[in-house]
Amino acid sequence: MSDKTNPNPMLPYLGKLVDVKDIATEIKLFRIEMLNGGAEAFHDYKPGQFAFVSSFGVGEAPFGIANIPQNGGNLVDFAINRLGSVTTDLHELGVGDMVGVRGPMGNGFPMDEFKGKNLIVIGGGIGGAPLRPVIQTVMANRSDYKYFQILWAARNPSLLVFTDEYDEWRATPDTELHLTVDQADSSWNHSVGLITQLLEKVAPSPRNAITITCGPPIMIHFVNRVLVDKLGFQPEQNYVTLEARMHCGVGKCGRCNLGTKLVCVDGPVFTMAEVGELLESFL
Amino acid sequence: MPYEPKIIAYLCTWCSYTGADTAGIARLKSPANIRDIRVPCSGRVSPEIIMRTFEQGADGVLVLGCHIGECHYNTGNHRAAKRLPVLQALLAYAGLEPTRVRLDWVSASEGERFSRIANEFTETVRALGPIQWKIADRNTRFVWQQEPVSHRYSAFSDEQPKHAVYFTPVHEQQTQAIRASAAELLANKQVDCVIGYEVGPRGRTRPAFVHQAEDADRLVWNQDCTHNLTAYLSKKLGWGTDGGKKKQPDRLPKAAVVVKPCDSRSINVMLAENRFLREQVNIIGVACDGIRQGAGFNDEKSGAIQTRCAACKVRTPVVYDALIGEPDTTYREIPPEHIYPGIDHLDAMTPPERMEFWLSQFDRCIRCYACRQACPMCDCPICLYERDDSLWVGMGIDVDEKRAYHLGRAYHLAGRCVGCNECERACPMDIPLSLIHRKMAQEMETIFGFQAGMAAVPPPFVTILGGEENLP
Amino acid sequence: MNYLTRQEVAAWLDRLAQEQTLIAPVDVAGNILYRPVKDTHDVVWDFVRSFMSVKEVFFPPTERLMLIEKIGAEVKLTETLPEEESIIFGVRPCDARGLLTLDALFIENEPVDPYYAQRRENTTLIGLTCQSLGPSCFCSNVGGAPDDPAGMDIMLTASGGGYVAEIITEKGEKISKRFPVFDGLSEIRPHPSPARKYGLKIAPKEFWPAKFNDDFWAEMAERCLSCRICAYVCPSCRCFDVRDEALPGGNGQNQSERVRCWDSCNGIPYRRVAGGHNPRFMKNQRLRNRFFCKFYYFPLHYGPVSCTGCGRCIDACPVNVDITEVLGYVGRR
Repeated sequence: MSDKTNPNPMLPYLGKLVDVKDIATEIKLFRIEMLNGGAEAFHDYKPGQFAFVSSFGVGEAPFGIANIPQNGGNLVDFAINRLGSVTTDLHELGVGDMVGVRGPMGNGFPMDEFKGKNLIVIGGGIGGAPLRPVIQTVMANRSDYKYFQILWAARNPSLLVFTDEYDEWRATPDTELHLTVDQADSSWNHSVGLITQLLEKVAPSPRNAITITCGPPIMIHFVNRVLVDKLGFQPEQNYVTLEARMHCGVGKCGRCNLGTKLVCVDGPVFTMAEVGELLESFL
Repeated sequence: MPYEPKIIAYLCTWCSYTGADTAGIARLKSPANIRDIRVPCSGRVSPEIIMRTFEQGADGVLVLGCHIGECHYNTGNHRAAKRLPVLQALLAYAGLEPTRVRLDWVSASEGERFSRIANEFTETVRALGPIQWKIADRNTRFVWQQEPVSHRYSAFSDEQPKHAVYFTPVHEQQTQAIRASAAELLANKQVDCVIGYEVGPRGRTRPAFVHQAEDADRLVWNQDCTHNLTAYLSKKLGWGTDGGKKKQPDRLPKAAVVVKPCDSRSINVMLAENRFLREQVNIIGVACDGIRQGAGFNDEKSGAIQTRCAACKVRTPVVYDALIGEPDTTYREIPPEHIYPGIDHLDAMTPPERMEFWLSQFDRCIRCYACRQACPMCDCPICLYERDDSLWVGMGIDVDEKRAYHLGRAYHLAGRCVGCNECERACPMDIPLSLIHRKMAQEMETIFGFQAGMAAVPPPFVTILGGEENLP
Repeated sequence: MNYLTRQEVAAWLDRLAQEQTLIAPVDVAGNILYRPVKDTHDVVWDFVRSFMSVKEVFFPPTERLMLIEKIGAEVKLTETLPEEESIIFGVRPCDARGLLTLDALFIENEPVDPYYAQRRENTTLIGLTCQSLGPSCFCSNVGGAPDDPAGMDIMLTASGGGYVAEIITEKGEKISKRFPVFDGLSEIRPHPSPARKYGLKIAPKEFWPAKFNDDFWAEMAERCLSCRICAYVCPSCRCFDVRDEALPGGNGQNQSERVRCWDSCNGIPYRRVAGGHNPRFMKNQRLRNRFFCKFYYFPLHYGPVSCTGCGRCIDACPVNVDITEVLGYVGRR
């Protein structure tokens, strides 16, 4: 184990899975209890930060942290979509199995700067995972923030995440929750259509507002176009969290750069104004 | 404790696995050393599986299928019958005893036959001793201490054979002819791009891509035109792995390419594999007298000819739309030991010496993949040996992994490699890759009478994943 | 006098080789490479430039980060930091500058990479000034020089069958002062002479952003093979990949190791994510990124330009993609 006086940034903390549950098709929510003093690392956690989860023997991959680690940073949630070799191996694990966690990393959302503003959170598919701690922060400190709108989308109803928490979100004062899917099934009785269509319908006001978007890169791009071109937002008001393939997470391996910025240390949170200044496209 | 061989047996569901069961029911003795793995068909047992089995510590690999003519899938066991001898030749060449792999046929009712083969093979492997294949220590260095194995001409003397004397043909004529051809094709919009050669600011010849007729004067022909430009064709013609460009059926890209005879054979191989359509490529073939050693890396004007050119019988392109230079329709007689130079020298060594030789060569490899990238045939969307899940080989730059990559690639090129030797030229560490690929070509010629690329026909058996649809 | 004959240098190195690992240039099948040697018998004394840089001693092609052992339901991680002390003889100034560039990233930029840092700490560099420049050398354009002592612990300058020796750092003192052959060394200069400050002659990094969308990158990349030779031979390229690989385990323990190994942004799968999306799937995007990283992103973040002008990439590229052509293009108004 790395000791605090001379930490090795490549060495993970050990964590034990205390809860694994299916929250959508091929998406599981893992709750990890940090061991060996790893909880300390999460004391200064900011929503929007990410961590590397290791499936020992296969490798590690970066995931957005999906909660505010409770109990002094002891329990950390990750919503993980099964897609590649690491995630497939993680999906095979059950309660009691050991994983590794390296983090938290990245810059996180400047929640203090958002105080006193209207917030619009826009999540697409698994992109909702790093937005959940934002929602939890607003719910826990409701009076710090003004009007709160959540737009939540997925390709179809079975891919929506955190469905069992929607009632709690709706019940929060001065909060709207709007749902949409690209393709509905017979049980669906909310909007049908792309997130951009829902956004135009809800038409949040840009006055004193901040938007936070997370989802597939193409969705982020089109959502920003609607916000700026049709709804009058400035790119500085639109925060996004981007992803990239990463291997070290601490700015050494050089892999995750988007032009001049490293997604792991300068991001993953950027304003669309900053993204626009990057030479490289994130698409 | 005396050594007990660990043997993995791949048994096909329909015949040999049931044959093993039959042996068990009849209480015939089979050695406990054998661990069975059931596969749908012996044709499913690809060479990567066998090589991986050895790397993971098996002392012997047994592949048992249905008798020829009795395969449940008709021709599955034919594939095994064609593949295994070539794999055995490759592994033997790398220093592994070929009798550690055995292919045989056992039907469902032949319990006795299964038991006999199992016992025989176990004793064969026991006599060979434990396998010495995987070198686990990444800090060990291997340096070849014996006399050099030169795959260049004159392994043992400095003299160049008379037929391999390099002389200076009139390059100016060929240059002008290529420029005229290119300018015309571009001006008439018959092609979007002409791929040829140019001389860079440092005086080195390098690939050139000309898109406008007025730039055709960049193109040259000289003794340094070594690159196999067909490596760029798949992507330039809108197919291939560089990004998933959508194919527009009504407007497929077209390109012209300047090819030497060896390169033209690459085009035949690619056509046989449906890499692109014949009408997309305009082939400017150049009759070639040979390329200089050191071409592409320094700009000296004369010198010894490349080994592959000295060994080359095909001096005129085998497929072309326009031919530049004098067609030479006669084969030149080349003594056999000059066609595959260096291979007989390796064949004469003992297996442990060969293993040591290859380990010392792969020790220098830095796994830059230049060999693969320079090769026109290597174009798989995800290379087997570069998977993110390390399925066939780890990602590290250790000698075991490098050897697995090179041997696997050599197998995948059997019957497809045309001997352009660009892999060897591109290799920054001077690894004599042609010694492996030409060995495979030699095996294909000996066993199947097949030479890659002489016509646009598929090889006798498919060595890459995907492509079975091309076989009859 | 600061002068040692070659025999004296060889004898001194032989003595050092008994105490620590001595790494020196040797000929491996025609390639000059830095390898551990038992004594100076096989050392190559006269060469222009090694094929691979000394980077591979400090940032090895494959390196174990930790050992992972699964024992029942428990997991034990063992960090495997390098411990060996070594001395490298025959380091060229361009290679030492490459190490200083890597230091700016791995050591001076938080968090410190302990694997690289430990190796740097445990290794002493004995440099050799260049007697001649290779046809592709351009170190003086990127702030270096054939006799630049930056990064060296001891600097030797060949002269008439021997060497003029300068002890530059305390580490250099430790392996020299106690040997009689260094008695009477007239000066021990702890710092390189201020007269040896060299400027950058290539265009400043501010020239680069305006050229990002030029057609030049697609033209240059057309012939690029997307291999990784240039990054691997480079003294200052440092991209790496990290993965867990299984080890042959014993005693029923499930053992694997976490390794890191060299990678390059030129490679096609560099940025490919699970699911197949690849933001840099075009060759020109990758090649452009490599040059921008070296001359714009790296100096912007860390200070030095990530190029030492050694020219290895120029000589090794099979299709003559030439970094000096790139620099010439960007420097043009």
